[in-house]
Amino acid sequence: MDLFNKNLIFVGGKGGVGKTSISKAIARALSEQNRSTLWTTFEDPTQTAGSLQKVSPYLWEFNCDASAAFEEYAQMKIGMAPLTKIFLQNKVVRYLSKAAPGIHELVLLGKVWHERKNYEHVVVDMPSTGYGLAMFQSTRNFANLFKGGPIHRDAEAMLETFADPKATGHLIVALPEEMPLRESIELRDFLAKLFPLNGASFLVNRVFPKIEGNPEINPAPDAWPTPIPENVTDYAQKRNLVETHNLRIWEEAGIAYEEVPFLAAEDFGSPLTIVPQITRQLTRASLV
Amino acid sequence: MKRSAFDRKIDKIIGSRKIIVSCGTGGVGKTTLSAAIALRAAMQGKRTAVITIDPAKRLATSLGIQVSKDLGDQPKDITEELNKVLRKLGYVDENITGSLSALMPDTQKTFETLLKELTPSEAIRERVVKNPIFQVFTQEFSGANEYMALERLYQLYQNGNYDCIILDTPPSRNTLAFLTAPKLLSRLFEEKLIRFLVLPTNKLLSAGMRKALGILERLTGAGFMTHLFDFMSSLFEVQLSFTANLNKIMALMASPEVGFVMVAAPSPDLAPEVSHFIETLRQHRFHFDGIILNRTFSYLGELPAASALQQEAFAIVKSLQKREKKVSDELKGDAAFICARLPELARDVHSVEDLFHVAMAFDRKSSLE
Repeated sequence: MDLFNKNLIFVGGKGGVGKTSISKAIARALSEQNRSTLWTTFEDPTQTAGSLQKVSPYLWEFNCDASAAFEEYAQMKIGMAPLTKIFLQNKVVRYLSKAAPGIHELVLLGKVWHERKNYEHVVVDMPSTGYGLAMFQSTRNFANLFKGGPIHRDAEAMLETFADPKATGHLIVALPEEMPLRESIELRDFLAKLFPLNGASFLVNRVFPKIEGNPEINPAPDAWPTPIPENVTDYAQKRNLVETHNLRIWEEAGIAYEEVPFLAAEDFGSPLTIVPQITRQLTRASLV
Repeated sequence: MKRSAFDRKIDKIIGSRKIIVSCGTGGVGKTTLSAAIALRAAMQGKRTAVITIDPAKRLATSLGIQVSKDLGDQPKDITEELNKVLRKLGYVDENITGSLSALMPDTQKTFETLLKELTPSEAIRERVVKNPIFQVFTQEFSGANEYMALERLYQLYQNGNYDCIILDTPPSRNTLAFLTAPKLLSRLFEEKLIRFLVLPTNKLLSAGMRKALGILERLTGAGFMTHLFDFMSSLFEVQLSFTANLNKIMALMASPEVGFVMVAAPSPDLAPEVSHFIETLRQHRFHFDGIILNRTFSYLGELPAASALQQEAFAIVKSLQKREKKVSDELKGDAAFICARLPELARDVHSVEDLFHVAMAFDRKSSLE
């Protein structure tokens, strides 16, 4: 996909669709081609705040943290160390950096934007739809609210990069389920309003393997008397039918997409054992 | 469909709490299950309301009602529609003995109502609502959505029209986001700091404060600071009554009238998430009523031999069963307990009829129980 040649890659979608695994697999696949890649998530509470880890020669993983990024930004803008210190230790500033709505999101995206120059690729594991959108929207709002100051200029420059199809790609991930597919159309339309010249790419994750069909089952899911399957064969076949039915939502919206199959986890030791398997899939399908 | 004896753990929770708060990350089916629990409560004679703060408007879909027309800030009674569906499903002589209403609070409207209660001054209210910062504030994830859900819940609880209220919390990446939102919001009202902001020309300001505010102004430009000071000083007017209100709500949430359940899918990282959740509830002195494990496969039992074409599909279901077993075992050792296990569905819930099937699925017994 053309998407994977871009410097900055945002991976968004509804909660639970596998954004973390997919974005990690993309970053891994890129790094395996010897391209320096930074994978970023925002404030994962299960990881150390702000930690940056080198996981292989070309791959780094970063847990972006707003308060660290805020301090860094202040240092960059204010320059003189004693003055920066006064600023950061000030009660009102500390209060504002935590409590004022929108600053948090602006700072996190600002950090990612800044880091893009240090790597060939920055792959961003975005928060789920609503919050992910709010991050871009707050940058827009801030560009509008802060007239004239350096923050205004930076917010404008960030938006310009995110809107530039040569610099940034937006990937929307969904499952072949009705709600994630519909929500991703809303996400697409919203992104199109913010970044009209930079259309999103689409990926549907966990596509169930096809089994032979029982011709007696009505292909229209709405015709089934109950949503609860009777047994495993019934489940598997209905799942095939439902996925085909659901993916029409995207097809009717004119969305072209790639598929990643549902993979049986080889072990359950950690949530991310699936990542190398997805990486192999992406590479095998020549997507990355 | 078979009649339910209503003797499952979930029914005990319904029987003992006036408010059930359902928490959980996105994509686990929280909204559908909240509606199903509400339906079960209504079938047991409770006057029930289900509240959702769901931008995706899933609740309306699962209740088979139209969002724009029917589901809004005011409770919509759907008992009649439910009774019709009961007949259709073959419960000839039965009626819903309680009632079921649904609502989706409007964050901005709830905030305005709250402001009205907090201050009689229309001038102050208007200053807050017209401020561009307020527009950002109510649209974004600053904890406002979560807080306003609690506020609406409290209003509903107080008017005394319901025996059982189910609160479907806003979707978030983190189960705890909902619990920490009020604290986040109350930060906005930290009195001492607002004083500083409200009185920027205060002669008592130290040189350091003046310097810091000067830098802030240089970074942000004058417009933002003016709006912010204005927003803060308007809020300052309502600060005391806001804090009192928040304390009232938090006291209710910690009372035995309110139980918290966590809806989760059996993902491999569930156990740490659950212990974190229980710990946070404990810190708030909230009551934990259990985990509802959704999208489970154990009810399919041992799988039959697969044909060549079925192999791949069966292998996935088998691995999902194994994962469920592993997660269940991990949870057993903890203070965590599973209060219900719901099957993975073959398709989405589209109608009230479907919702009945899900509500009745609470009666299924799993081999892992």
